Amino acid sequence: MASNEKTLKEILAKVLILEENDVNDAVSRENTESWDSLAHLMLITEVESAFGVTFSDEDIIEIKTVGDLKSKLRKLGVKL
Amino acid sequence: MRSYLRNEKTGSQLNKILRVVRKEPTYLNYWNAYRRIQRLDLSSVTVPEEKRIRIAVLSSFTVDPLVMYIDIECRLIELHPETYIAPFDQYPQEILDENSALYSFNPDIAILAVHAESLLGDNFLPRFLTFTEEEKRKRQKEIIKHLENLISELSSRTNALILVNNFIVPTFSPLGILDNRISIGLKTFYQGLNSRLSDLFRENRQVYVVDFDGLAAKHGKDRCINPEMYYRGSILISESFLPVVANEYMGYIKALKNLNRKCIVLDLDNVLWGGILGEDGFAGIKLGGDPVGKAYVDFQKLLLSYYNRGIILAINSKNNYEDAYKVIQEHPNMVLREKHFAAMRINWKDKVENMVELAEELNIGLDSMVFIDDSPQERERMKQALPQVLVLDLPRSPFHYCEALQNLNDFNTLVISEEDKKRGDMYYAKKKRRALMKMKGSLEEFLRSLDIKAEIRYADSFTIPRVTSLINRTNQFNLTARRYNQAQVEGMCSQPDRFQVYTMKISDRFGDEGIVGVAIVRKEKETWVIDSFLMSCRVIGRGVETALLAKIVEDAKANGASVLIGEYIPTPKNQPTSNFYRDHNFKRICQKNGTIRWELDLKKSTVNIPDWVKVSYG
Repeated sequence: MASNEKTLKEILAKVLILEENDVNDAVSRENTESWDSLAHLMLITEVESAFGVTFSDEDIIEIKTVGDLKSKLRKLGVKL
Repeated sequence: MRSYLRNEKTGSQLNKILRVVRKEPTYLNYWNAYRRIQRLDLSSVTVPEEKRIRIAVLSSFTVDPLVMYIDIECRLIELHPETYIAPFDQYPQEILDENSALYSFNPDIAILAVHAESLLGDNFLPRFLTFTEEEKRKRQKEIIKHLENLISELSSRTNALILVNNFIVPTFSPLGILDNRISIGLKTFYQGLNSRLSDLFRENRQVYVVDFDGLAAKHGKDRCINPEMYYRGSILISESFLPVVANEYMGYIKALKNLNRKCIVLDLDNVLWGGILGEDGFAGIKLGGDPVGKAYVDFQKLLLSYYNRGIILAINSKNNYEDAYKVIQEHPNMVLREKHFAAMRINWKDKVENMVELAEELNIGLDSMVFIDDSPQERERMKQALPQVLVLDLPRSPFHYCEALQNLNDFNTLVISEEDKKRGDMYYAKKKRRALMKMKGSLEEFLRSLDIKAEIRYADSFTIPRVTSLINRTNQFNLTARRYNQAQVEGMCSQPDRFQVYTMKISDRFGDEGIVGVAIVRKEKETWVIDSFLMSCRVIGRGVETALLAKIVEDAKANGASVLIGEYIPTPKNQPTSNFYRDHNFKRICQKNGTIRWELDLKKSTVNIPDWVKVSYG
């Protein structure tokens, strides 16, 4: 579980150009300039391939914060 | 990591970012590096013109990931790219509008990345089978004409190198196995487009057709598109295909910026043949015959094909020269022979030193060279010492050697001339001519690099045992081979008015040889006679014998002698020294009882110490 957290954190930091320490549930598309549409697509693709899941189109649109991303992942059975 | 960047801080930030990609070239790391570099303020950085490159990409699909890859690939070879991406799917307008952002960007390279489906229209696939042959030909013509017009507009308005991709021939056809049973099947239709495109620009100096179909086939067409990325973001090139495509574009960029490699420098053992020649011997190395041997033959054939294209081949190997040369010239399964190698360094010297010498001899830059060696240590040493040299990461198994070299996209030039193809022959002829002339030059260079020190003293009680031992053991480099026992040597040493006994100690940067040279001089009024002159074999050929002779000449002059006589007594073993005195400008005066006497007129002549030997006197 801890390693899932770590994997997710690494992906988020790299995709959104953040320090890993600055990655938290409140980080959102609105408050993070680097989280543009390409970054969003990149994030989705990387997370999908890292955890072996596929998000639905609704999921992709509804993910607006790191917290959202985590809850969608949990819904898909990823332990976080 | 050297950097051309003058702004140190930004330069080191840039290098820090790139180091991550170098270490782990994943899609995510490229993304991260690209976005971080975009945030750096590079405006304060001074970059020489030859390192700058302006790349415009015009595309019918979301091309940002490709631009990201090309940008980072450029930076990894120390180029400073600026990129421009035309607005999504607006490339025709950009090309046709002379006031467009594209033209004010003023690119060095314009990449036109258009996929066939965008030109064929939405209903092409479902309607394909309803088209008549005539209609299909008409469609092909329209598409090619459309591209031709756009490209001719583009080339009339910019001097940029224009790269247009061909189309990926589909692996699917609704006709299945019958696709090639009708006159223009779906695959034939695409193949027709590609061959027209090639024909159109074959002679063009500005426009090159990038073989996208070939690249896709190599990568596996099923893996070229990631459906998720395509449907969600109109990204047509999958993350696994991206590096392959970027690498291909880099081939053009390197050619344009004259960053192409011109010379492949090869190790021998486990590179041109399997096994270690020094251990396995001529008959034991693997070359031809068994599976491993076949792989080495194939690798040599690939190298020969590069040679015939104008790539220079050279050797840098730790081996006995004679043994290796015999394999190269006489082994029945060698594909490459001496004439294919523009230069050879087969010796026991440091390969880095050899590499520098090869570059000098061939008169090409280290940044034009590729180094192929099976030893990870040698490769690492080369990378660290000469970062300009491209070091191929040779796979462990020779079965994969060809693949590794083929994937190196660094030999491209934008044109190829007949001279290029004959380059190998020319270098070989040059080598032959140079060989005789340069013998002395390169030997001196070698000797100079040794950092030789000679210490010359008179024999004393501490050194007499060693002197006596040398006098009695030395056979080859011993001009008179006169043997004296310890008492006799002590006797001579105790009569300095009649005899002078010299010792010479040699050291170089590899270590200390100890006392290796001895000379005994008989003083006869105005004439000094060299009674004995001998040297241990292991230091011969380094010019130290001349240094000892020079010291005797100097002493003789200082003591008022006018003539120096050198004696030579031939023995079955000392033939190599027969010309020693003649080589130092002595004149032969007589032969008596088997002793040949040579004379040096000290009033007119002298002997100089070779300038690569540093002499000190005790």
